[in-house]
Parts: sequence; C-alpha cells; structure tokens
Amino acid sequence: MPEFDMYVPRDLRDALKFLEEEGKRTTILAGGTDLVPRLKRRQVVPQVLLDISGLQGDLRYIRREGDVLRLGCLTTISDVLESELLGGGLGMFKQAAQRFGAPQVRNVATIGGNVASATSSEDFIPVLLSLRAKVKLLNARGERSLPLEELIVGKRALARAPHELLSEVNFQVPHGNFWSGFEKLGRRNSLAIALVNMALFLALEDDLETVKDVGIALNRVSGKVPQRALEAEGKLKGQSLSPSSISLAQSALASELNLKGDYRASGWYRTEVALVQLRRLLESCYVKARGG
Amino acid sequence: MSKHFVVMTINGEEKGFYVDSTDRLIDVLRERFGLKSVKEGCGTGDCGLCAVLLDGRLVNSCLVLAPQCGGKAVVTLEGLLQDPIMANLQAKFLKHNAAQCGFCTPAMLLAAKQILDRLPTPTREEVASAISGVLCRCTGYYPIIEAILDASREAEAAP
Repeated sequence: MPEFDMYVPRDLRDALKFLEEEGKRTTILAGGTDLVPRLKRRQVVPQVLLDISGLQGDLRYIRREGDVLRLGCLTTISDVLESELLGGGLGMFKQAAQRFGAPQVRNVATIGGNVASATSSEDFIPVLLSLRAKVKLLNARGERSLPLEELIVGKRALARAPHELLSEVNFQVPHGNFWSGFEKLGRRNSLAIALVNMALFLALEDDLETVKDVGIALNRVSGKVPQRALEAEGKLKGQSLSPSSISLAQSALASELNLKGDYRASGWYRTEVALVQLRRLLESCYVKARGG
Repeated sequence: MSKHFVVMTINGEEKGFYVDSTDRLIDVLRERFGLKSVKEGCGTGDCGLCAVLLDGRLVNSCLVLAPQCGGKAVVTLEGLLQDPIMANLQAKFLKHNAAQCGFCTPAMLLAAKQILDRLPTPTREEVASAISGVLCRCTGYYPIIEAILDASREAEAAP
C-alpha cells in the first residue's frame, strides 16, 4: 500500500465541506472493490482518501418519484439484485447484477463507484446509458445535474470538479410497453471482466411491432468509454421489428463503432460478438413482448 | 498516513483500537486479533479467501480499509464455532472430503453459512452461485457443493 491519509466524514455536509477545501488532492472511496486493488498496485497514489462508505443514510437508496427512478451512489449491486423497483421492463438491471463480480463483490461494490470508475468494462454504464440516465453532482453550495454521457469524458476521466460528489444516478421510467435486456460475454461466469457487454431498452407501440423508442449502449468502444449506438437506434426507431430491420441495425452498429482490440480479445471478434448480442437482445425483447 | 480510532464488534465482542489509514480489515483481523482463519490469497478481491461477514454480508476483507469499519460488526469462522448450522456444515465438509489443502475452507464455510441463512434449502445452482466468489484449486467444487446440499437437506428434515 502506498502512504495516504484518510478522512472519515461525520455526515454528508462534512464530506462536501472537506471536498470544497481538499478536493484537489482527494480521491473518493466508496465500496473499494475497484479502488483498493488499484491502490495496492499503485495505479493510484492519492494524498487523501475521503471515505463516503459510511454515509448510507443519505446516499444508499433506490426510489421512484413520479416517473423518475433514483439510485443513490452507495446503492450496492446486491441492493439492485434485491430491489422490486428494478424488475419487469427494467430487468436488465438484474441481469447485469447477476453477472457482476461474485457475491462478496456485489455486497460492497456500488452503482456510484461503477459509474465513476469510468472504464470500458463497467457493466452498469451501458445499462444506464441505454436509458439516457442523468447524474447528480453535489457540492457544498448546491448541486447540478448532467447526462451520464457528458459526465464520462474518457477512460477514468469524469467531468466532475474536484469539489463535487457524484451522489445519484436517475432516469425517466419509460411509459407504456417496454422491455430491456443485458448481454455480457466474459471468459467465465463469475468474476468476469466483460469482453463485450451491451444493454438494450426497447419500447413498442400498442401494436407490439413498431419500435417507439430504443436505447442501445455498449462497452469496449475504441478510444472511448461505453457509448450509445445512435445510428443503430435510428435504424430501428419507427420501424417494425423484423429480421430485415434487425439486420439493418446490425450493419449500422458495425459501421458506426470501432470496438477496440487488446490482449483479451481482438476488435474484429468483439464486433462479431456485439452484432450477435444486438440480435439476441432485440429478439428476446420481441419474445417477451408476446408474453414469452 | 493518518490514525483513526475505530470501535467495532469482532465475533460478538466490542473492541476499540487505533488503525492506520492504510490498514486493511484483513490486516487487523489476522495481525491484531489473531483470527487466522481469514486467509490472504490474491489480495485484490479475486480469490475470496479473505471472506468475512461484515454486518451480516459476505465481503472480501482485503478490499475493505480498516477506518471504514467504525460501528460495524464482523464475524469470522472463529466466531461461529458454537453455531449449529456451522457445526453441521463442518461435519458435512468432512464427510464429503470437501477440504483438501484446506486453505479455502474457512471462506467456503462462511459462503455456505450465508446461503443457508438466506435460503435453507437452496438448489444446486444457488449453492454454486453462492460459492462462486471463493476459489478452490483442489476439489473441483463438487464435494463442496455436495456437502452444502447435504447440510441443507438435514435442515429440511429437522422439525
């Protein structure tokens, strides 16, 4: 372990005050499942850690207010797995949670930490991007909200000022007939780092054929962090879901995003997998829409 | 490095002590309190051998920093020696040869206890998933899964 100080705040106000004064030399610690191994490998050498993990009363919640679903940043992956608010059409949350790490990791790893880690393998970033989620950033004097897409500006890079705390992710729960799914390919079932993962949310018109709205987001995009597949979404919107529209969306996906190659898998392989994931997700939503 | 005074419950006893900002929970449990059932395998959260119950939830103690533990309750295998579910699990591990080198056994037993506390009669898949974060390099997992299922059947048969 490198040498660092730690500050354990009394409450949320105290944490924000600390960030106001010491934010520039501070790294925020929540569940620690990503940060602690990185500390150990000295990939991060912070001067001070601000431990927010004790602020559960303020920052650990899953609640619905009207059409908005709010997840406090300290919501654990196990909380997601056990929440009744994230079933049904939002089932991709449970699918992603099920494939996330292992029980010991799910019990401490947090949604806020997954988003703030901002790497191209995080499982919940595509899930939240597909729903066009927003994040809330608190500071000692107020708060601001911005789309998740704008928060993540690069690998492990956030548009968060040093005095701000990512306190919540939220999204509009779609109206009407909607379904969702999450696909992840890893080398094993447990503790797998995704080679490719993809989240899809699909809303259909009352005919259960025509695509009313669709969100597709995936990881491992070259030079980027997780990203939405806007062209593929455009090919589906307003169209009737069929083998030919699915195939058009696949071609759009293949041309708009360049998946990166590394020691885990080549870019070519990742692209092939992503195309299959897209088809499977669309087909499974279509089957679910028919009560399957 | 900063010093922190932490009060926490360790195997049912309340303790207050100073820790360094860089101490991990596993260091405190093994070095200060001599709880050597908690093993360090990888130290990066992959092997799960340092698993303990923190406020009733299975967590990897190598990923928790000690100053984070104020007000929490931690239970290691040493704290469950009088627990009937644990006694039954240990007997079944012996019966099924579920411990070979033994290094993963304390963590396996805690993972098993956690699933039986939540689901008294789990399916084979639920047992496999419950122990999926603990690596065993000897047994191939089958004897461990058999032992846990055997222990759960006994719980089912009991009045």
